[in-house]
Amino acid sequence: MWALRGLRNGVLTTRWPARPDPYAAAGRGPATVLDERPAEAGLDQIDTEQIDTKQIDTEQINTEQMGSEQLERICPTGAIRLADGAVRLDQGRCIQCGRCVAARPDVFGWAEGPAVGGLSRGGLVVPEIDETPERLAALRDGLRERTAALRRSVHLRHVDAGSDGTEEWEILALFNPVYDVHRLGIFLTASPRHADILLVTGAGARGMTEPLRRTYDAMPDPKIVIAVGTDAVSGGLTAPSYAVTGGVAATVPVDVFVPGSPPAPFSILHAVLLGLGRIAPMEAGR
Amino acid sequence: MSGFSAALAAGLALLAAAAVVDLVAGVRPRPLRPVPYLLGAAGSACLAVGGAGALAGHQARVWPAGVLGPGTAGLTADRLSGLFLVIAFAAATWVSLGFAGWAGQDGPGRRGLGASYAIALGAVAVFFVARDAFTFLFSWELVTGAFYLMVGFERGREGRPSAAMVTLAFGKISGAALLAGLLLLAVRSGSLGLASFAHVPAGGARTTAQVLLLAGFAIKVGLVPFQVWMPRGYAAAPGPARAVMAGVAVNVGFYGLWRTLAVLGPPPGWLTGLLLVLAGLTAVLGIAHAAVQTGLMRVIAYSSVENTGLILAGFGVALVGAAVHSPQLAAAGLLAATLQVIAHTAAKSLLFTAAAGITGGGDDDLDRLRGVAKRAPWRGTGLAIGGLTLAGLPPTAGFVSEWFLLEALMQQFRVPGLGFRLVLAVAGAAVALTAGFAGVTFVRLIGLVVLGRPGPGGGTGRAGAGGPDSGLGGRCAIVVLGAACLIGAALTPLEIRAVAAGLSPVVPASVTGGALKSPWVLQPVFAGFSIVSPSWLWLAMPCLFLIVALLTLGLSGRRLIRVRRVPAWRSATAGVTGSSRYTAFGFANPTRRVLAAVLHTRTAVRPIAPAQPDVAHLGYESDVIEVTEEYVYRPLLRPFAMVTRAVRRLQSGRLDAYLGYMLIALIAVLAVVTALS
Amino acid sequence: MNTRLVVDVAGLWDELTGEVAAGRRFAGLFGTARPEGLLLTAHLAGPDGVAPLDTLLPAGAAAYPALTPRLGAAFWYEREIGDMFGVRPEGHPRPEPLVLPEPPGDVRRPCPGEPGAPQVIEPDPQALPRHVVGPGLFTIPHGPVRSGVFESIEYLVETPGEEIPHLNMRVFYKHRGIEKRFEGMTPADGLLRAERVEGTATVAHALAYCHALERIAGLTVPWPAALVRVLHAELERLACHLDVAMRLADAAGLAVANARFGWHKEQVLRLVGQACGSRFGRGVVVPGGVSALPLAGPGELLDAVGRLDKAVSSDAGSLMGTASFLDRLRRTGPLSPERAREHGALGPVAKGSGYRDDAREARPYDAYSSLGLRPPAGHGDGDALGRLRVRFDEVAQSFRLLRQVTDELAEAPDGPLRDEGGTSDGRAVGWAEAPQGEVLYDVRVEEGRIVRCRPRSASFHNLVLMHEVFAGDILTDFPFIEASFGLSVAGVAG
Repeated sequence: MWALRGLRNGVLTTRWPARPDPYAAAGRGPATVLDERPAEAGLDQIDTEQIDTKQIDTEQINTEQMGSEQLERICPTGAIRLADGAVRLDQGRCIQCGRCVAARPDVFGWAEGPAVGGLSRGGLVVPEIDETPERLAALRDGLRERTAALRRSVHLRHVDAGSDGTEEWEILALFNPVYDVHRLGIFLTASPRHADILLVTGAGARGMTEPLRRTYDAMPDPKIVIAVGTDAVSGGLTAPSYAVTGGVAATVPVDVFVPGSPPAPFSILHAVLLGLGRIAPMEAGR
Repeated sequence: MSGFSAALAAGLALLAAAAVVDLVAGVRPRPLRPVPYLLGAAGSACLAVGGAGALAGHQARVWPAGVLGPGTAGLTADRLSGLFLVIAFAAATWVSLGFAGWAGQDGPGRRGLGASYAIALGAVAVFFVARDAFTFLFSWELVTGAFYLMVGFERGREGRPSAAMVTLAFGKISGAALLAGLLLLAVRSGSLGLASFAHVPAGGARTTAQVLLLAGFAIKVGLVPFQVWMPRGYAAAPGPARAVMAGVAVNVGFYGLWRTLAVLGPPPGWLTGLLLVLAGLTAVLGIAHAAVQTGLMRVIAYSSVENTGLILAGFGVALVGAAVHSPQLAAAGLLAATLQVIAHTAAKSLLFTAAAGITGGGDDDLDRLRGVAKRAPWRGTGLAIGGLTLAGLPPTAGFVSEWFLLEALMQQFRVPGLGFRLVLAVAGAAVALTAGFAGVTFVRLIGLVVLGRPGPGGGTGRAGAGGPDSGLGGRCAIVVLGAACLIGAALTPLEIRAVAAGLSPVVPASVTGGALKSPWVLQPVFAGFSIVSPSWLWLAMPCLFLIVALLTLGLSGRRLIRVRRVPAWRSATAGVTGSSRYTAFGFANPTRRVLAAVLHTRTAVRPIAPAQPDVAHLGYESDVIEVTEEYVYRPLLRPFAMVTRAVRRLQSGRLDAYLGYMLIALIAVLAVVTALS
Repeated sequence: MNTRLVVDVAGLWDELTGEVAAGRRFAGLFGTARPEGLLLTAHLAGPDGVAPLDTLLPAGAAAYPALTPRLGAAFWYEREIGDMFGVRPEGHPRPEPLVLPEPPGDVRRPCPGEPGAPQVIEPDPQALPRHVVGPGLFTIPHGPVRSGVFESIEYLVETPGEEIPHLNMRVFYKHRGIEKRFEGMTPADGLLRAERVEGTATVAHALAYCHALERIAGLTVPWPAALVRVLHAELERLACHLDVAMRLADAAGLAVANARFGWHKEQVLRLVGQACGSRFGRGVVVPGGVSALPLAGPGELLDAVGRLDKAVSSDAGSLMGTASFLDRLRRTGPLSPERAREHGALGPVAKGSGYRDDAREARPYDAYSSLGLRPPAGHGDGDALGRLRVRFDEVAQSFRLLRQVTDELAEAPDGPLRDEGGTSDGRAVGWAEAPQGEVLYDVRVEEGRIVRCRPRSASFHNLVLMHEVFAGDILTDFPFIEASFGLSVAGVAG
């Protein structure tokens, strides 16, 4: 009797965001900058032969960033940048490989919690976002206005534009009894004609450009697009390539960017609620 | 001579004139082509008027007894004849107009079609008003002959000659059965008059005669296992001739059955039971095949078979009622059957009139005819209304008649005796199953063929080929017949009064009139069981629709009327070779699988050797079998061929042999007559 | 095992067919662009490992005699070579484009192995020709945007209305050009890319890649690291099989079973995250060992595994007793044992048809040789039910292995977690058993950089069998067959 079997374990569902959830709070997000002006040396240009192997494994030098600062060379996707002597990390490029955290634990750490999504691409840069507060407010207000009718009940549609399969698992996880987004009025729909939110995963494979475009056009207004995963935000490790466009922002206008490789289900849920304006701006922060 | 008699005579005369005009003038000059059919329309109208008079009880007689020869009783219309005259010729008027329109547009290529059409109508009229066995049989054979001429008219095309031969063969067999039965009764009763047959004492002769008569009429209407000629025959006839055959002339069979019941009373119980079971079987078989056919004409033809099953199920209930001496049950059954006859006449005539010329000379494959409503809106509307009626959807006339039929079958609990109850239950189940599949069949017809988009599907395709829209005559026919199907439902109480009057030779009109609970509410003759009011339905449904539409418009602001046109969603695919939408064949495939027991579906996927590497390498085939043909007729072909070959030896071609045969026959007749007298 | 260079293509094909007839398994075919020409490499799997056989097509050769007419399993491999390098296999029954639709004539093909990035290749998705002809046939396109949360692939169902006589597939939508991205990377950067080829089999891909590098450099993995590798590999196997069970229950409409297996899968992913920080086991496996011990202690892991085992086996037993569910799977999507053997099918798809060649048993690696795998009783039905039974058997086996591994980890001596021998130049083949089947990596390192890395996932090898498993099944059986294969499209499209 399956019905009785289901009752045996009681309530498994999290109460987030109404109540805090320990797994959500401890969830590992992309890397973040702990100390933007680190005291130790390491920011100057150093010749490859003189690298102190105690700090950085020679194998872990990002070969594509030759010619950049040593700190910048740690990151395989080039997310780390030095601007006026301050360290900036673009979370939209972070694939959570952990090299920066292992090499310089004084400078880099892991962001914790589900609030990793942002309303603009520039808003994903830590510790100081690459976006003016006015523009952010404008984006937020525009989004809020557009989704006024959708707030309490939305339908999601998902399109895979060249992911590696993990983001699909994390999106599917939202519908298992632990997260159960049905309790928040969020449903999955089979046809884009009934959908309000488009979740796009994957680095933007060129074969999916047209289908993605068609799906977007098939959705009625108002609609919002959420780029789920670092691949969708910036292309991740797969771009640049002959087959990939480097993120989906070139094909469809993206409203919410969620970094992470893959982003945890709580982060995806946070992004959906952010897009709908159900997360207060104070918590959102970006 | 009263006015109505004059009307009858005028009608027959006009039909004769139509035949003469067609034979003399032929198809040239072109503007004169519709003339025979216009004359036929006028004749049909006169006949309908005469029939209405007879229905109301006035005297309507063409000529008195003895005119055609000793023993003949003249042509007189009583109420039952009047009822069928009205039904058949009211439809025939409009069908003739449609025929005239078709003849003007792309009519027959040579003379003869108008003549056979007029002969058919005339024979039908004479059959309805015949009072003696000789005229009865003569007109029956005329109808058979006219059918043969119509079906074989386009004998140059493939399959038509064999269809005509099959039609003729079955017509002849039915005529032979009628001849044997009537002669048996005539011998027993001593005269040729139909009314005198009622006094034949019960016994083997009467029962045999009943069996023969019922069999003969059943062949004409297409009861299993005699239905094999109908799809072939109807599909082979040209244009609106199909409407004449399937919509108008088929009523001779029903009239004959009704008349047999009136004259001879109920047959023995086993025959009633057999009839009910066969009726249920016919209905299921007919709709199963209609649901899976690939040609439009065959779909409509098999739907005729299905309707025969339904009508005969109602008739079977009437027979049961007569056998257990329950006039209410008999009335319920006959009323249901007659209402179904009316609905069927209107809808079938409408369907075949709308479908006449729809193919523009090509084949009538359903996939080729997609999108009729776009290129030929009048035809499309006609097909849609006819389809809705035959599917039994409210608020059409088909809904009312099927409701009556099911209600009549449900009265089986009032019948004493387990045998009758069982067969009534079986027939009821079969009728209910048929109603469901009728929905599937006509959804395919209306949804894919009428409302579908032309072309092979998926993007731009070539526009569906086909003929032009109906001419003026066709449009008139479609409008009136469509109105009969739709508004006729609202006017059912008036119909019931007329039908009650018409059925009075069989059951008293007061009993049948018990179907009217109140002026606009109907019940199945028995009170307290169930009610329906199609008239109120015709008020309520549009009102509800209007209320919902106004509410939606009001609550949605003005956004409801804003329309954004986008391509259909097809999973964002880039495109496929061939069709990506459901074909008519594909839509019927689940029915093929589910009813595989009835249809004996065979499918096969075979590897085929491709000519080039990137061409298809698998072939798919699927076929259904007509079980009656396969298991009843095919085994008979060999012995039949052997017998024919043996008998052919008699056709020696020698004059002395033929003279010898005549001498033998004459001596035998003399001997028999001498022995009997 | 040594790489052998055979003189010409025909000779290579002869040798291949001979070895396959002798009992070895054909495991893949790919090309590498070298300065001297196009090097075609075939892999043969046997009890002593996976051996590459090379042959060289001279530079400028536009065609070669196809292998597919002699060895049907090469059907998709030759099409992929044609897409990547532009050489035509002559005699191939259907040389249509597979992963890269026909680019315009002047655009350079990717040619992995050749340095330099090709230009952007815009896909040209012309309609594939029909495979079946007959009255009333039409094609239902399923995808590339599917109706649930699925990866993008297009199934063209050629149907007469309810049955599926034939299925056609277009896989190029998700092609990312992963193989080209390996070139010029250091082995450490290459590891990052190997993990992201097929995300649901991250650990297996990382293991196969690292095995190749360890073979090149002659590294030995220390015992605790081998145990941690097995731990993560088995947790990943659990997650994938629970995902398959979840999808099958969803297709059958068993909402509670779907929910419960979803819950179990979530617990497995959380356990993996607890152990290494990433829910998919990323960053654990490095060449020479592992990066760190599990963050959770062996006692905690044992508890969690024990609880999960009880719940999963109870639910699995209940699911396999639900008659309506079994009805949907029985005789659905049958793959005959002969076909599975002939094709060299991998993973649960093959085991469900009675053909067993598990890399953990036949060519053991890491700690598997010492852990004593017991192959469970075979299920030769070949239908979706057989494949599910195989998966549940593997789930039970995984739980046993997990308990064994955590016990051994608790007693393992402290020590280095990786062999710091570094990398050297050379070429080798690495393998690992992913949940979908065997994953192969053929890696060639020159001057400390990867020159060619060929990831061959089990999904690529197995998906082609979907053409043939629809024997009289109808449209509603489709999700069962797809879920019972349990493949990841990311590994197919590359």
